[in-house]
Amino acid sequence: MSTTATSQEDEYRWHTGLKRAHGSKDAVEFFDVHKAFGRNKILRGLNMGIPEGKISMILGPSGTGKSVCIKHMVGLLYPDQGDVLVHGESVPNMEDDQLFKMRQKFGVLFQDGALFGSMNVFDNVCFPLRQHTEKSEEEIGEIVNRRLAEVGLQNAHDKMPNELSGGMRKRAGFARALVLDPDIVLFDEPDSGLDPVRTALLGELIQEIHEDMMNEAQKRGTPAPAFTLITHDIMTARRVAEHISVLWKGRIVESGPAAELFQSDNQFVRQFLAGESQGPLGME
Amino acid sequence: MVRNVADRAFLPTKSLLEEVGDMMILTGKTIMSALRPPYPYGGEFVNQFLFALKLCWFPLLVSTVAFGYGAPGLQAANFLVLFGAIDRLGGFFVLASIREFAPFVTAIVLAGVAGTAITADLGARKIREELDALQVLGIDPIKNLVVPRFLALMLVTGLFNVYALLFGVFAGVLATLVNQAPLGGFWANFFGQASLTDLWGSTLKTTLFGAIIAIVCCYKGMTASGGAEGVGRAVNQAVVIAFLGIFAFNYVFTQTLLATNPELANLR
Repeated sequence: MSTTATSQEDEYRWHTGLKRAHGSKDAVEFFDVHKAFGRNKILRGLNMGIPEGKISMILGPSGTGKSVCIKHMVGLLYPDQGDVLVHGESVPNMEDDQLFKMRQKFGVLFQDGALFGSMNVFDNVCFPLRQHTEKSEEEIGEIVNRRLAEVGLQNAHDKMPNELSGGMRKRAGFARALVLDPDIVLFDEPDSGLDPVRTALLGELIQEIHEDMMNEAQKRGTPAPAFTLITHDIMTARRVAEHISVLWKGRIVESGPAAELFQSDNQFVRQFLAGESQGPLGME
Repeated sequence: MVRNVADRAFLPTKSLLEEVGDMMILTGKTIMSALRPPYPYGGEFVNQFLFALKLCWFPLLVSTVAFGYGAPGLQAANFLVLFGAIDRLGGFFVLASIREFAPFVTAIVLAGVAGTAITADLGARKIREELDALQVLGIDPIKNLVVPRFLALMLVTGLFNVYALLFGVFAGVLATLVNQAPLGGFWANFFGQASLTDLWGSTLKTTLFGAIIAIVCCYKGMTASGGAEGVGRAVNQAVVIAFLGIFAFNYVFTQTLLATNPELANLR
């Protein structure tokens, strides 16, 4: 018993769980979330907040549970134990109808864009508006054209997903994630499979659109949009992130404003954010 | 050591039972979704129906004629000729073709052609995260993807059964003619044996085979994982499980039908 406790203490000795103040309300909160797939325990007591009005990042080594976090936020997975709140409402306790309604608060950019293979780019981006609004085709066309222009795909309306490059698919997925003006936008590894220049451009695009959406939300008096990126790319974190949560072995090591995290004394955080080979994180 | 052995024996059984349970739950959810408004699946239902019709009509034609002629046709005719009772082939075809072979061949062709296409399609969408995207966009994949496939496969297998019966019986006619026997005896014996219960029993059974194929193939597609290889594995498993399900259900159905209609067991 004491041996197990000691080995667990040892495994989590870098996990201070420190939540530095970020000055905003949390749009999404995880409370002691546990999730296992068979014997493989992915989340092991995760406590984390995603702040409103900021571009936040969940950073961590591969296979540490980052994508599983996103799926918990939108109710594609449920915790074995613990709770996930979105704007104060418990996701695991929602009825199906409530859940489908709650998901309209989210825009999700999946790893490869997850465009519908049977529709062209224009129809893919129209899809959420046709499903969830009473807007006329003219109004829908206007919104979709604006979003496609923002992501630089104004000339790709008629292209089918299999005719697009990886970067274009991501940008089309980004446009689709934005058309309903969601309160929370999630990006699952937006930099995967992109070259460094395209990654930097996508990062800039995310910042520009976040700023535009912040202004629009202020005018409308709606909640400030929370953008959350999941990545293990430190360059993207340095350029884009305003808030960082470092996740390892299913728990938060530390979280807080990006500038403070980059100055952290925690050896694991320092090693990971500097991308160094020496430190607590090895190849295991 | 003991734990390892126990795990090896127990875990596959547990996962098999869990899978069967999940398929039962999917069946329940599909039926509830089909009945509860709204009904957004009309277009997809028609597409799936026409898709199955287009893919299956020719393989089914060839299979029913070839199988009906080869197995119950030639084999039974050779046996009956020994007793000078080739006219009894008509009655035998009611048992063989209407009750068993036509539904079986229909189900096997539908599972192999349309069912695998469904698993591959849904599996590819699952791998590309399209199904997750649909759910995040507030669309219920059961109502929009599973229900139309479930209803379309049920309807198409039910209708294809009638088609398979016609070609199956045609194979019996062919076997009679090859044995240079008159067709009068074949038809007299056929209609003497056949009953309405045979016809509705066969059609109902095949319609339910369609439901089994649709649920198994949709489930395996929607739970595919592990990239392109995973989709291939899902297709393979879908066919095997669908066949097992069909064979097991056929036993239960036939037993029930014969128990509730004992006159069907008499060979007239």
